[in-house]
Amino acid sequence: MSTTQSNKFLCLFRFAAAGWPAKPSSPQEMQAQYAAWKAWMTKFEKELLPGDGLTPAGAVVKGGNVTDGPYIESKEVVASYSLIETTSLERAVEIIKACPVGMDPNASIEIRQLGGYGG
Amino acid sequence: MADIEPTPGLPEHYFRHEFGRLVSVLSRRFGVHRVELCEDAVQTALLRAVQSWPQRGLPDDRSAWLYRVALNEVLGGLRRGKRTDTSADDIDELVAETGTEEGVFMENEVKDDQLRMLFVSANPEIPRESQIVFALKILCGFSVEEIALRLFQGREAVYKRLQRARSALRDCIGEPELADVGQLASRLPAVLEILYLLFTEGYSSAQPDRLIRHELCEEAIRLGKLLEEHPVGAAPEVAALLALMYLDTARFESRVDGTGGLLLLEQQDRSRWDRELIQIGISYLHGAARGESFTRYHAEAAIAAEHCLAPTYKETRWPEIARLYQMLDSVSPSPINTLNRAIAIAEWQGPEAGLALLEALKAPSWLLGYYLWDATLGELYRRSGDSERATVHLTRALDAAPTDAEKALLRRRLEACSTCSDRTANVQRLHG
Repeated sequence: MSTTQSNKFLCLFRFAAAGWPAKPSSPQEMQAQYAAWKAWMTKFEKELLPGDGLTPAGAVVKGGNVTDGPYIESKEVVASYSLIETTSLERAVEIIKACPVGMDPNASIEIRQLGGYGG
Repeated sequence: MADIEPTPGLPEHYFRHEFGRLVSVLSRRFGVHRVELCEDAVQTALLRAVQSWPQRGLPDDRSAWLYRVALNEVLGGLRRGKRTDTSADDIDELVAETGTEEGVFMENEVKDDQLRMLFVSANPEIPRESQIVFALKILCGFSVEEIALRLFQGREAVYKRLQRARSALRDCIGEPELADVGQLASRLPAVLEILYLLFTEGYSSAQPDRLIRHELCEEAIRLGKLLEEHPVGAAPEVAALLALMYLDTARFESRVDGTGGLLLLEQQDRSRWDRELIQIGISYLHGAARGESFTRYHAEAAIAAEHCLAPTYKETRWPEIARLYQMLDSVSPSPINTLNRAIAIAEWQGPEAGLALLEALKAPSWLLGYYLWDATLGELYRRSGDSERATVHLTRALDAAPTDAEKALLRRRLEACSTCSDRTANVQRLHG
């Protein structure tokens, strides 16, 4: 690993626009989801940095033109992001695989190592 | 989802119960004709909580947090739907009113709102089979799939019943206020019926998953207590229904053996009965014994109490139980009561006396096709030594029994029947 690179990883949670949520969850299922996310965050507490959800509000600027909507491609929605600070990309992958949607075929999670170019 | 894992920092069923509380509060504010809008808003608020709470931790006042989010959702929905909402006159007013308030509410007001919603589900405009579905959705926070699973109905049927309830309420802008005791009292029997159905569905349904069944019993008791705590529920039949529910629940776990097989009352380990629940049930039963009213809930609770208080199966006061079934039949006539009374009489005076009662009964055809009818006849014939008739009825019961657990039980009895017939044959050979 080059020394300029950061040990932080940006994880973008994408969901198939049509398939998310696949069906409206019941309150009981939502409680189970909450418990699962909470357990994941507690387990990797030391490596997870605060992330956030993303609202559907947004815009796209392209060549000075602004269009509504956050989606450059409408097939997928980036619904939230997480930041992981850990030793390697392999470890980041391991953590993401363990998260509640890590195995969900409707979700894809892009993991990118931060460049740390800002100094 | 059947398994309920303990959630860190949250009470069991928190989301589900919070759904019921918030929909009740919002529907009081915005009208039950907008219940669907309120449901969607609360659903969104809960979803927002799933996304935010694991990350940021639980807010200090979770309920207020959810309420604020849901309230904003409702207001947004009202503004968007202004042109299509037929009762739109009040929208500007509602929006302006809610703009200034803090979003705090008192616990007892929330209880009143839920109670009010319980009476809304008993609205006579809503078809009976829709009432229970609506209560499970709105007050208990179950989804259509979860209700279908619990009531053994198809998803489509549940959905249609729910829609029927909602459309009946669309024209009900003036739903009852809790202060309107006269109107509420007229709905009390329907409310009790909903709770009774909820409970018996959980207690005796063929649903193999015990957790799921127990959940329905818990819900019925929770709503029953809500009713009982309010002056509107100060009627003796409310206490009687609660007595019945507690006394039955006390025996819930002892009805199955270690492998999930059904145990008859006679075989149950009475030390596994929950003494604390029995005590609560008995005190409700005492509370129910006032005034003139004697309902089916009184009779059924008194029967349950007789069983709970009997030290052994043999020492059960069968004459009293037979008498109570007769009283039950006088307030709520059904040949099933006679069937049950025959069992008590057989224990008291012998199988022949029980059989005499059943043979004298003009059983309707639906009863003749009911597996418990054959199961009871089969058992009584077996005890009276008529193994031939016993085998006929037990075989018929075995064919019609709805669950594997019940089939297993009947198969054991059939086996007992063939051993008993061997023994009878032996005895006859010896004496003949």
